[in-house]
Amino acid sequence: MRNARFAVFGLVAVFGLAAPPLSARADDVADGQKLALDRAKGNCLACHTLKGGDAPSSVGRELADMKRRFPRRADLVEILTDEAMRNPLAPMPRFGRNHVLTPAEIEEIIDFLYTL
Amino acid sequence: MMRKIVLAAALAIFSLPALAATQGEAEAALEAAQAAEAQALAAKAAWTPTEAALKKAGAALEAGEWDEAKAQADAALALARLSLEQASEQKTLWRNAVFR
Amino acid sequence: MITTKPRHARAILRIAACVLLLAAPARASEASADKPNPEMDRKAFQAFFFAKFPRVAKDEFGNGPYAVNEGVRKQWKEIMEFPPYEFALDDGKAEWVKPFANGKHYADCFDNKGEGVRQTYPRFIRETGQVETLEGAINRCRVENGEKPLEPMTGLMASLTAVMAESSQGKPFAITIPDDPRALNAYERGKEFFYTRKGQLGVSCASCHMSPAGERMRGDILAPALGILAAMPIYRSDWGAMGTTIRRISTCSSQTRAVPLAADDEDYRNLEYFLSYMSNGIPIVGPGTRP
Repeated sequence: MRNARFAVFGLVAVFGLAAPPLSARADDVADGQKLALDRAKGNCLACHTLKGGDAPSSVGRELADMKRRFPRRADLVEILTDEAMRNPLAPMPRFGRNHVLTPAEIEEIIDFLYTL
Repeated sequence: MMRKIVLAAALAIFSLPALAATQGEAEAALEAAQAAEAQALAAKAAWTPTEAALKKAGAALEAGEWDEAKAQADAALALARLSLEQASEQKTLWRNAVFR
Repeated sequence: MITTKPRHARAILRIAACVLLLAAPARASEASADKPNPEMDRKAFQAFFFAKFPRVAKDEFGNGPYAVNEGVRKQWKEIMEFPPYEFALDDGKAEWVKPFANGKHYADCFDNKGEGVRQTYPRFIRETGQVETLEGAINRCRVENGEKPLEPMTGLMASLTAVMAESSQGKPFAITIPDDPRALNAYERGKEFFYTRKGQLGVSCASCHMSPAGERMRGDILAPALGILAAMPIYRSDWGAMGTTIRRISTCSSQTRAVPLAADDEDYRNLEYFLSYMSNGIPIVGPGTRP
């Protein structure tokens, strides 16, 4: 009985320490914003306007009202990973597919986009 | 028995960073990346970030930083392969982009 | 065994005939899709842009961003009171009349002494089976007369092409594709290049210069692909210098995070051949100026 309790405690400790803390959300949004505005990374302002941005770009649609327009988070993941696959005419760079952004960076950018 | 399994798992997880690259591994990774990039250049499909990663890998190798060298070389290899795949897929896919 | 009543048989035959008639044209166009049809492509290409920019006169397309955006057009008109490429024209005219060491001149290499011919370049050269750009022709002229080739992106090469462009102002692009399978292939490879996604960004020329033409990318207006070479060579503020077509194409490669090809690479020459043919009928406006 004591061994079982120790085992459960040990496993929870090990995997608990490995799991991301819940309080990262605010950090994720801030990191996502940095990535979005970074010219070497998302460089979103090259083609989109968004709140907090200073460029009048009009190649893509304004990034606003995102929660209502993209209720399925998976859609945004696809768009940022490889929109060209879904739409051969898309000017959208193949961020995820071509390793401009990592999957984790895409998640952070989406966290930021959902605040717009 | 259970105690041993839990301890082993904890040791495994916390000892991962200690699995460092050797000089041989770093050199092999750089060679593989350079070979793939040579193919990409021959196919006129090479990407500038691949070249940048190869440079960093070479510099890290010179400096004896095997982990960094291997990481950069692995990244370069991935980029080179992606560039070749894009070029090969686009050989047929380009027609889908012609406006209607 | 089900037997078909006579009126059912007639209906089935009618339906079968309709299906065959509808399918036949599709099969015919599949067969012709294998053989490039540059004239059909050009008409569709130009129709796309005339529909997209109905208030832009055909003759204006060579002015790129300035043709499709009133705001930047105003700034451009102000700049053009003192064109920044004047120095290049002066240098080019001085160079043009200097004889080579063997006594020959540039004028000896070109039709009509090189005056009013720019709009016919690039050309397909049967002897080499390759597309030759204006810069290629200038360098071939030099080499055939014992001179070293010029660096093709800027400097003296840009000055010479500026002079040739100026002498062709107002003349519409008149690119020919001879009835030679190699020429048709060069055209088709140029078309393929235009639509192929490249670089780590994975975008093509078409990605930005077809549907998004006229839109803003930060401070810049994306030029329509139609007429995009008519103002070459350009003085580009971003460079603080002149640049030829190949300089701009090469820069674009880098901007999409693709390793640029050699300046005289066949792919770039074929791309220029395709783009220029698409602009047949659009007048030369070069040399030009861009942000």
